[in-house]
Amino acid sequence: MRRKMLLPIAALAALALALGACGGDGGGGTEEGDGQVTIFSLWGGSEQEAFKKVLTQFTEETGIKTKYESARDFLPVIRTRLAADNPPEVAILPRPGFVDELARDDALISLEDLGLDPDKINENYNDTWIDLATFEDTTYGVVAKANSKSTVWYKPKSFRENGFEIPKTWAELEQIVKDYKAKGKTPWAVGAQGRDNSWTLTDWFEQIYVRTAGGENYDKLFSGELAFDDPTVKDALNEMLKMVNDQYVSGGIDTALGISFIDGIGRVFSKKPDAEMYMLGGFVGGIALGQVNKDLKVGEDIDFFPFPEIKPENGNPLVGSGDVAAAMVNNEDVAKLIEFLSTPQAGKTWVSTGAIVSPNKGVTDADYPNELVSKEAEQVKNAESFRFDGSDLLPGTLGQEFGTLLQKIVKTPDKMDSLLAAYQAGAEKAFANQ
Amino acid sequence: MSSTAVPGPVGRPRGRRLPSIFRRSGWQGLAFILPAVAFLAVLVVYPLIYTIVLSFGDTNAKLNIVRWVGFDNYKTLLTEDKEFLDLDVFPPTGALINNLKWVVLYTSVSLALGLLIAVLAVRVRYESFIKAIVFIPMAISATAVAIIWRFVYEPDPDLGALNAFITTFGADPISWIGRADTVNYALIFAYVWASTGFAMVVLSAALKGISEEVIEAARTDGASEWDIFRRIQLPLLSLPIAVVTVWLLINVIKLFDIIYVLTGGGPGNASEVIAFTMYDQTFQNGEAGYGAAVAVVMLLLIIPIMVFNIRRFRSERVTA
Amino acid sequence: MATAEAAVSGPPRASISERIVGFITRTPVHLALLLIGVVWLVPTVGLAVTSFRPRSDIQASSWWSSLLDFHFTVNNYQQVLDRAGMSDAFFNSLIITIPSTLLPLTLAALAAYAFSWISFPFRDTIFLIIVALMIVPIQMALVPLLRLFRDWGIADWYGGIWLAHTAFGLPLGIFLLRNFFITLPRDLIEAARVDGASNLRIFLKVVLPLSVPALASYGIFQFLWVWNDLLMALIFVQNSDLWPMTIKVNQMQSQFGGEWHLLSSGAFLLMIVPLAVFFALQRYFVQGLLAGSVK
Repeated sequence: MRRKMLLPIAALAALALALGACGGDGGGGTEEGDGQVTIFSLWGGSEQEAFKKVLTQFTEETGIKTKYESARDFLPVIRTRLAADNPPEVAILPRPGFVDELARDDALISLEDLGLDPDKINENYNDTWIDLATFEDTTYGVVAKANSKSTVWYKPKSFRENGFEIPKTWAELEQIVKDYKAKGKTPWAVGAQGRDNSWTLTDWFEQIYVRTAGGENYDKLFSGELAFDDPTVKDALNEMLKMVNDQYVSGGIDTALGISFIDGIGRVFSKKPDAEMYMLGGFVGGIALGQVNKDLKVGEDIDFFPFPEIKPENGNPLVGSGDVAAAMVNNEDVAKLIEFLSTPQAGKTWVSTGAIVSPNKGVTDADYPNELVSKEAEQVKNAESFRFDGSDLLPGTLGQEFGTLLQKIVKTPDKMDSLLAAYQAGAEKAFANQ
Repeated sequence: MSSTAVPGPVGRPRGRRLPSIFRRSGWQGLAFILPAVAFLAVLVVYPLIYTIVLSFGDTNAKLNIVRWVGFDNYKTLLTEDKEFLDLDVFPPTGALINNLKWVVLYTSVSLALGLLIAVLAVRVRYESFIKAIVFIPMAISATAVAIIWRFVYEPDPDLGALNAFITTFGADPISWIGRADTVNYALIFAYVWASTGFAMVVLSAALKGISEEVIEAARTDGASEWDIFRRIQLPLLSLPIAVVTVWLLINVIKLFDIIYVLTGGGPGNASEVIAFTMYDQTFQNGEAGYGAAVAVVMLLLIIPIMVFNIRRFRSERVTA
Repeated sequence: MATAEAAVSGPPRASISERIVGFITRTPVHLALLLIGVVWLVPTVGLAVTSFRPRSDIQASSWWSSLLDFHFTVNNYQQVLDRAGMSDAFFNSLIITIPSTLLPLTLAALAAYAFSWISFPFRDTIFLIIVALMIVPIQMALVPLLRLFRDWGIADWYGGIWLAHTAFGLPLGIFLLRNFFITLPRDLIEAARVDGASNLRIFLKVVLPLSVPALASYGIFQFLWVWNDLLMALIFVQNSDLWPMTIKVNQMQSQFGGEWHLLSSGAFLLMIVPLAVFFALQRYFVQGLLAGSVK
């Protein structure tokens, strides 16, 4: 008798909870806070230290404590906590694509719902940045930090010794690469291992694509209007393979796919380097100086030059990224933190660490502590045109899969056509489901 | 007859005797097993049913079911998901195929090594020492195993012992976990290192259970060591070998930690396995319904093993 | 003289030539075992040695070449404990593991006793079902349990993971303990019954004291299983303050890249408790493993 009872009881329980599951979630206005705000992001190491300074300032001014949590597998943590109704109060989302997805499922609290005035907050930013934090005309957060990604890191001393000049065109860069190789040095290091580092390859691709195919095509590609197996994509990939290949990359492609981006930076800038240049965003400076090798001298051992132009008609657009700070829980403390992050003050404190470039209009050049970041900020401000990191704009998991796609292409370039076609098939579905 | 003839509970006086109806053993039995059964019903059986139900739906970011899709999740998983199962290429690839590689290589190598070590170790005086060394990795977590082996597989020959070894013979260092063609073997070997201890202990105990006299008799009859091994020891080991094989097979289906920590499924998807696919789809992609379908497939793969095991348990009961 | 010796000191010692022959024929065995010993020790020893080397040394030379000129430091451990939060993680691991061991031990013992020595309808069928549940993979329960814990409001502390580990540890425990309890002398139990002892009393005063080895085996097995767990902690321990060492060490991998001085010491801290348990209680652990060879 007991055995026969177990199954129906369990089934009833399942039914009851399944019915309860389909219910919605309550709205509710802005409640009082509890004196502490939890913030979640994926920054570790030196990026984390820099952000904590901003949080300390916030606590000093408002008396509200903060608790910072981080995890590299950012998305699973957010999802499990959402599923358990236990989200962090503020999340720093590294991709605008996430903003859209979470906003659509009512997981984010809009600025208005927080009791803030979106227009006032948005005064601090250009339209480009505001767009990132907006979904269907409602603003859900503030762009907390920005980075230029059109930077190539090199060692000025090495350039001097070898008689190299800063390349202004792709052809000049290719020549430098060949010259380095002829002298027995490895021109590039790449760190693109697994899921957490495949985005370094997407950065390579985007810089090249926007310069070979032009800004318009770039926009079309990453919004689903242009197919990924279009000839312009293959052209850009072939240019990329001219640099990212077994010959010119430290340890070959296998090593590149086996180490993290921090280790890749280490291959160029650590005390035991074995490569000369590293292509990645402006934040490399902060990481190299703060974590990899504290003895680096800016201007001697480390500096960057802007990514060179490839086709003159497409000029030199800037491809960059930004992180959006958004609220997932509605209370007064959270509102205050979001507001604080949008102030020029917060921006100044943050940039003073040398880790970031602030998109905030109120932050001036003088606020930057070292040449590297102020140079980057200049680059961001004076960009002829600006494009956001494409893979971060892709919906759903497409962005992550783009990185995986590039990993496969650099490993087996002869399979490029079939890989692109397969990816395009998935992309069509993802864009259709949006 | 006992002198203490007072019926009822002895010991701490409780001031109230249980009514006789509750002293019937049936109810007492229920009371003893109720907490455990309650735990199991609510936290294991109910989730089991829930996940099966969930596999027929689609979810949103909060993991709430938003619509029912029938068998679509299963259809996609088994026919369209190239990362899970790709039969268009030869040899086939995908997470499921990786599990198959594990089933064949991990199981056979662990068994063979375990048996080999058991057979060799018994002939030397430092037997306990060598067995302890081989067994120790069983105690540590898969996370620790992953870190230990990440160090061994490091591409830099000054860090990674394996690359240091091969470079002394003039070869170039290999990025063992960075290459899609070596990563699975690297993982399998690391896990064999961690699990052989189990096979060794079981088989060693079984070997020692074989009567010495039978072996001695065979020896005096002129049988060679190999004959003894093949005709006497091996057949008598068939049950322990089956036990170890079942354990290893279940390990393969449930494989997660070492993949997650050492390679994250990479490079690309080259080292994904079915348990990792479940985690990835549910928590990275937010497709909890799809992930539930993967979990159900995992269960379906384990069930035959369970049936075999229960039959073995039943036959043991009969003979006991 | 030989026989007198033998009577005192056991079988006659082999003559020198016999011993040489024996050694030569066994040399391949020794060689094979040497190779095996090396393969099994080198990975762990390499990481251990690295954990005691200063960071600059690690970057400059390999660990095996440093053995002759070794600079010993506990700096890495200090750093990892104080600054990377491993000391907190250690206590978190304890807090997670101890209840997750004691609770299933208690519930399983109670149930196993009933399955062994109390007769009630459908006893054997229920037992079989419970044993069958042993192979349900945790993947089947991750999402439903998340939502259950959400509904019960315990998602942000340890409640969830304690319950999950207990539930999933029960089938093995009940199986192991029942198989042991059944081997206890029937007469003992019968005698106690005749004396009028209740089932609870028999359980507490007769069965438990005689079952210490089995209880220890299961307890140690469950302890190590929970201590070493990663996946369930990933899903159910949501607050990063509460993370156990397995998660912490894994996070260190991605946060600190090739910082082997931290990773090696972190990994070793993770291994200390299991290794200590193993060395101190080896026999129980092995027994538990052997008996429970189906988890």
